[in-house]
Amino acid sequence: MIRTLRRTVSIYGTFAAMVPKMFLAYSIWVWMQFFVQCISLVIFVAFWKAVYAGQATIGGLSLTQTLNYIILAQIFLPSAQSTNVLFSFGKMLRDGQVGIELLRPLDFQAANYVSNLSWMFISFLTQIPLAVFAWILFRFQLPADPLVWLAFIVTLVLGNAVLFFFDWLLGCLAFYTTEVWGLTVLRFGIATFFSGALVPLVMMPGWLQAIANILPFAQALYMPVGLLSGILPVSDAPSIWFVQLGSLVLLGVLSRIVFRISVRRVTVQGG
Amino acid sequence: MVRYLGLYGDFLRQRFKILMEYRVNFLIGSTSTIFMQGASILAIWVVMRQVPDLNGWTLSEIWLIYGLLTLSKSINHMFADNLWTLGQSYVRTGLFDRFLVRPIDPLFHLLADRFCHDGIGNFIIGLVLVLTAAPSVAIVWTIPKIVYLVIAVVSGGLIFISLNLITGVSAFWVMDSVPVIRVVFETHEFAKFPLAIYPQAIGILLTWLIPYGFASFYPASYLLGRDITPLLGWAGPLVAVVLFALSYRIWLFGLRHYSGTGS
Repeated sequence: MIRTLRRTVSIYGTFAAMVPKMFLAYSIWVWMQFFVQCISLVIFVAFWKAVYAGQATIGGLSLTQTLNYIILAQIFLPSAQSTNVLFSFGKMLRDGQVGIELLRPLDFQAANYVSNLSWMFISFLTQIPLAVFAWILFRFQLPADPLVWLAFIVTLVLGNAVLFFFDWLLGCLAFYTTEVWGLTVLRFGIATFFSGALVPLVMMPGWLQAIANILPFAQALYMPVGLLSGILPVSDAPSIWFVQLGSLVLLGVLSRIVFRISVRRVTVQGG
Repeated sequence: MVRYLGLYGDFLRQRFKILMEYRVNFLIGSTSTIFMQGASILAIWVVMRQVPDLNGWTLSEIWLIYGLLTLSKSINHMFADNLWTLGQSYVRTGLFDRFLVRPIDPLFHLLADRFCHDGIGNFIIGLVLVLTAAPSVAIVWTIPKIVYLVIAVVSGGLIFISLNLITGVSAFWVMDSVPVIRVVFETHEFAKFPLAIYPQAIGILLTWLIPYGFASFYPASYLLGRDITPLLGWAGPLVAVVLFALSYRIWLFGLRHYSGTGS
């Protein structure tokens, strides 16, 4: 029993350990990303300051609150929103690797989730330079209450898991189309806006907020960062978790069923 | 010159034959940038709807600046996208040798080798933004002003191309030149908004060092009768030509350092 467990842990652990190695191999790209994000951050701050030039509050938020939220959202964006599912599905299908992956004696979805978790953690680590940059330039505020931090981490991990299953469903389309690039572009365009990465959800008109609440993207960014930045009270956390767990069960079951059906259509290229 | 235009037409025809083999991909590619830009455009609208102006700039004026920049960017995206892939697809593979043995200018050959249809989406977005802004900004549109606008966009496109060429030449030394290009290229994001909203240092940077300001902010301000030195309103084409001449010299310098892969 313990031996099997240990064996399982070490197998999935290998998958988790692969991601940081991949990252280090492309370190110049990581630094480029850091620089690009610094530029975005400076633009965001200048934009919001100009927006608030003749205004005390917008959508009930002050300039300090909005800036705090936007800066934290930019810092956590990659770890909250990145699931590598679409990317890896596309790649596996293009180079025919999918044939080998499906033959491995372990749960395909679980293996992907573990490397997704690892990816999430690494994405967070690579954001530390940006956080330092933002701290030096703009002095954002972090909560002192450990309860808020706990609520934030739980919401972040749950939200990311919801996105993982959502992307898994989208990824299954690749078995039919063998091409996911257009889908990826569309998904990321929609996610950028509806996750609340650019504008806090409370500032959106009602109909846009309604769409944002139906889509899964806000659960993985607006909800956790809203809690961390204080624009959502920590007392909201239980109701957020309730929605997240509900989506998790629904999308989790659905993604496994759809995968089982669609994998029959798989074309292994150049096998 | 005429010969090169004719040649470009030939290259373009070949390229479209390839693109039309995969029509769905062509369609997705050409519209992809629309989705990417859509998010930030929607965000600007959502925010600006709740305030009268952005530190003195109305929403229409922002659209004009944003649109001009996007049009300039689309010229670079459509006609000079190969500068991004010089290192990866031509130098590393040794395919660049091919350009050197043909009786046309290697830079021309590199650019003409791949018309990038993804830029069409940017062109459409830019055009729509400028046309949306045009009736509601305080500009009386006359023929000279429209000509001025077209010249501004073309100069802006040339500034984009020149800057990418300067940084892209690094491909002759480092194989992976994309990060080098990207770091300078990305500063164009500043020029989507009035430079007046930024700390002064950024305005100076985008005017004198990485002159993306001439692709959007200065022509727009000049037409809107904003308080800028008229010289800056007219300097765009000059800056573009000087910058391109400079970048071409740097390109020639890099070319002398090219060594094939030996294959």
